[in-house]
Amino acid sequence: MILIVDALNRHEYADILNDMYRLRARVFGDRLGWDVDIVDGMERDSFDDLDPAYIIGLDEEGHVISCVRALQTLGPHMLSDVFSDILDGEPPLRSATIWEATRFCVDTERLGKGRGTGTIAHATCELNIGALEYAIESGITDVIAVVDPRMDRVLRMSGNGAYDYLGKTVAMGKVHALAGLLDCTEERLARVREFAAITGPVLVDEAEFRARRARQAAKAAQTAQAQAAMAAQADAAMAEYFIRQIDAASSPEELAAVLSLADTVLGPVRGAGPAGQDGPRAHPHMPSVAHRN
Amino acid sequence: MAQRPLDLGKSGPEGQDITSRLHEICESLGFEHACYASNTPINGELIGFATYPEDWREHYLAKGYHLRDPTLTRAIHAVAPVDWSRLRDTQGYAEVFRDAADFAIPETGLSVPIRGAFGDRGVLTLARTCSPAEWASQKRAIMQQVQLLASQLHDDVLRSGQVLQRIRQPNLSSREKEVLQWVAAGKSQQDIADILNLSNRTVEVHLRSAREKLGALNTAQAVGRAIGLRMIYPI
Repeated sequence: MILIVDALNRHEYADILNDMYRLRARVFGDRLGWDVDIVDGMERDSFDDLDPAYIIGLDEEGHVISCVRALQTLGPHMLSDVFSDILDGEPPLRSATIWEATRFCVDTERLGKGRGTGTIAHATCELNIGALEYAIESGITDVIAVVDPRMDRVLRMSGNGAYDYLGKTVAMGKVHALAGLLDCTEERLARVREFAAITGPVLVDEAEFRARRARQAAKAAQTAQAQAAMAAQADAAMAEYFIRQIDAASSPEELAAVLSLADTVLGPVRGAGPAGQDGPRAHPHMPSVAHRN
Repeated sequence: MAQRPLDLGKSGPEGQDITSRLHEICESLGFEHACYASNTPINGELIGFATYPEDWREHYLAKGYHLRDPTLTRAIHAVAPVDWSRLRDTQGYAEVFRDAADFAIPETGLSVPIRGAFGDRGVLTLARTCSPAEWASQKRAIMQQVQLLASQLHDDVLRSGQVLQRIRQPNLSSREKEVLQWVAAGKSQQDIADILNLSNRTVEVHLRSAREKLGALNTAQAVGRAIGLRMIYPI
């Protein structure tokens, strides 16, 4: 399924956007060796600050498996700036009905080869269908896409090749980059749909998607709460047990042994010990034990 | 966006021209109302024009809706045109459209965001009364055209100087202008102080401020610029 994220709804999908930046870091930084800035395993550039629209492919489990970024060519965009080499000094296209597509990638690590769901070809086509539908719906006639030659080949093979190229192919990192023109037409959309045998809708119904995410988040919170409650209960029972043992201790040696065992099981009472996972949980109970001591 | 007023069609001859363009767009595409707003890249000031009836426009500005109406303030940041149905849960929407209904302003509409090469942004909003089915079928047919119209409008507004003028038009006080006018008339600083019954130092302060606002290196240059900007008369 394909999700469109822009300035209007991005506050809802911070997690998905971060996953997308991680995918971009792996593809453009690691695999293609482009000169991109990666911080905390996420690739972001200045164009991400210009309120672009992201077309994002998600698998059934909600992993980001593909993405592409759209910017209006009327405003600042990559071909007018950092990719100007490709245009060989010529000014870029500017039109209200032409978008620029950049950072086009799919997760080749998660996806398999061949055809059908879960493959690179399928994910690429699904993303292209989503992007084309979004563009056509928005009155966009053409897209200028900056891609690497491998992506260009994948597009051509899936009935979605560029009808023309602008400028020249330039070296970029381990590979090259070039700018292809894609018409946003029902004909192209039909070709890609036919190639990938995708007939149903690919764009996410946002209301439904958000409701599902809210349900999942509520369920996860519930599970975490239940787990925390169980752990607290177990701790309380254990503390109770040690309190009884301390009360029942008949000699200093026995008391020392009980306290030592309590330390081992519930974590040390005093802050002197290493802050283990049990530390914070043990504290609410142990001071009462120490007090009885 | 900065807390500046939206003129909404009261900007003199040029503003009237943009407003009449909006009326033409409405007529040719079958909309009842159109509004255009843009923010300048330099100071974020918002300027706008609308075909709204006078009473709604006054109410809209009085309530400060131009700063909260998501069909302007949110949609301006989108890439693709925004159907207002998408903004329904957005802050400000309910308030603006509850009032809009009282003024018979339709709730079916579209915001078309525009971006310029210099980081400038604009938005054209179009509203009409029609059934959801009718809207769905007609929206797609006009989508391409509205974007072209929106970008032309945006370019024309920029070119007409509506935006640039606001960036370049330094905000001189009447006293600063008055002092500069006397300088243009050949008076010395002390002359001006005597004429205006001010201290020499006060005249100096106004001159210094005027030079700063006009980006002038000296008073002669400030006078030249003020005449060029028609803030004072050549004598």
